[in-house]
Amino acid sequence: MQYALHKILHGMLLILGVTLISFMLMVWFGPDQTYTLIGKNATVEQIEEVRSQLGYDQPFLKRYTDYLVELFTLDLGASHSSGEQVGSILKRTIPVSLALMIPGFVLGNLVGIALGLVAVQHRGQWIDRLITGFSVTGMSLSFLIIIIALQVLLSTPFGVNLFPVRGWQVTGLGSYLQFVTVPTISLILVTVGYNTRFYRAVFVEESGKDHIRTARAYGASPATILWKHILKNSMIPIITRFMFSIPLVVISGSLLIESYFGIPGVGKITFDAITNGDQPVLKAVVGLTAVSFVVIQVLTDMMYKLVDPRIA
Amino acid sequence: MGPGRLWSQLRNDRAGLAGLLIVSLFFLVAAGVWAGWLGQNWSAANGGRWESASAEYWFGTNILGQDIFQRSIYSIRTAFEIGLVVALASTVLGAILGALAGWYHGTWMDGAILWLKGVLDSIPFYLLVAAVAFALHGKPWAMHVAMIATFWTTTGRLVRAEVMKIKSREFIAASQAIGLPDLLILSRHVLPNTLHILLIQVSITFVAAIKTEVILSFLGLGIQDGVSWGLMLAESTQEVLAGHFNNFMAASLMLFVLLLGFNLFADALQDAFDPKQVTL
Repeated sequence: MQYALHKILHGMLLILGVTLISFMLMVWFGPDQTYTLIGKNATVEQIEEVRSQLGYDQPFLKRYTDYLVELFTLDLGASHSSGEQVGSILKRTIPVSLALMIPGFVLGNLVGIALGLVAVQHRGQWIDRLITGFSVTGMSLSFLIIIIALQVLLSTPFGVNLFPVRGWQVTGLGSYLQFVTVPTISLILVTVGYNTRFYRAVFVEESGKDHIRTARAYGASPATILWKHILKNSMIPIITRFMFSIPLVVISGSLLIESYFGIPGVGKITFDAITNGDQPVLKAVVGLTAVSFVVIQVLTDMMYKLVDPRIA
Repeated sequence: MGPGRLWSQLRNDRAGLAGLLIVSLFFLVAAGVWAGWLGQNWSAANGGRWESASAEYWFGTNILGQDIFQRSIYSIRTAFEIGLVVALASTVLGAILGALAGWYHGTWMDGAILWLKGVLDSIPFYLLVAAVAFALHGKPWAMHVAMIATFWTTTGRLVRAEVMKIKSREFIAASQAIGLPDLLILSRHVLPNTLHILLIQVSITFVAAIKTEVILSFLGLGIQDGVSWGLMLAESTQEVLAGHFNNFMAASLMLFVLLLGFNLFADALQDAFDPKQVTL
């Protein structure tokens, strides 16, 4: 219980930090929004009115707490470019991003774990070297190169032309598979190099430990050792890796994949907000993702305790 | 480990040597561009649209009729500029903050640095860059600032752990006993012993910086003037659909080979310094 309270307190301090940074960058030091909102030939009174609506005449602390209230009540204001409420934009786009990113993210980790296990089983042999070489190659390929190449190979007449070039017209399972396949393969290819290398290192470390040698000495079969002793004891680094790569892979990945393939998810609206300088959307997305990531971290810490009761 | 022993370790690592060779070759070309000998005609649009490879245009031309070979050569300089600035600055920052946190382990200073690291690690990276670019009103170095501000955290964590280990050793107790001030001990006796971590981190963050530049340039947050492989790839996204692959191939291949070289070299460094340690 004390452990949980300690973690929650730690999480609250982090939330304070991430909201403070996003507030400072986008609201306090951000560009003056007055003239994006106001028409030409505005009178002095009109300018003053917009400025006070935006809160520019308020002190720092008041504006920061206003931002916090906006984030936690999800009352995020309206987008400057479309006028739509940011809350309703997010409600529309988040499910699309999840449907798009989850398969690739999960498969990328599973393939990494599988390749890592195979490499460890054949440690030092050619198959291990092949897998290691393959992951270094994957790590040297840019995300952008992979998606361009896959698009050409899978979705254009220059390749096999089996999938739609871009877009997201999902009506059922068939069309979902049509649109999700190329992004999913890209995501797997981008992450598998790093994942394989990471998981292989974790398994190598685990298989060098004394209890594995003891198990082997007692005549446990290689399969038992692999599944029961190595994989099970590696759960903590696996969970950590999985949880901590969510912001990088899912959020940054959706930014790139959705803007490239023109898929209407959170990444695409963030990209549009970046290009248009649409501050309400940008500050909501940055603030909310950072806060939810802190929540994920706190939950991960609690999960450790479930997996391994020794953790204090 | 001295430079002599490091070299004798590296000499036996064929992949690592190949990596070093690749990086050195690219660096020579970058130096040639800096000196004004190579890639100077990267922006002139003298050719026709999408000309194929010829004696005049080795890799053909792009949509504007610019020489793709010249552009990809000039981009080597851009890559080294971004890589060096970001890798050196973020590693130095990580070394300083990590050393302070490790040395004053358990004090408010350690707490504050760990908190800052936790906060920066919690904001998804590209969103932070977007926010920094937004705050800096599209200044060309917004990208560098954002990368340096986030890339130091890994170096900081590694150096902090190492400094905590070093602090408990006898030679540190001895220098404290003869009354040397903390900062002198840190800079003279502690930080030099973390040099192996810093060297590896420089090569890893170099790779990260170049890869990030590509994505940011595609998103419109990267290089503002000049040319880079990221900008070339961004241009090529339209061209490939029309069947023109020269721009894409040139930028991808150069980018891939340089990154591969750096990754191989970084691996060799890691193996040389600590063959037992598994790389995470």
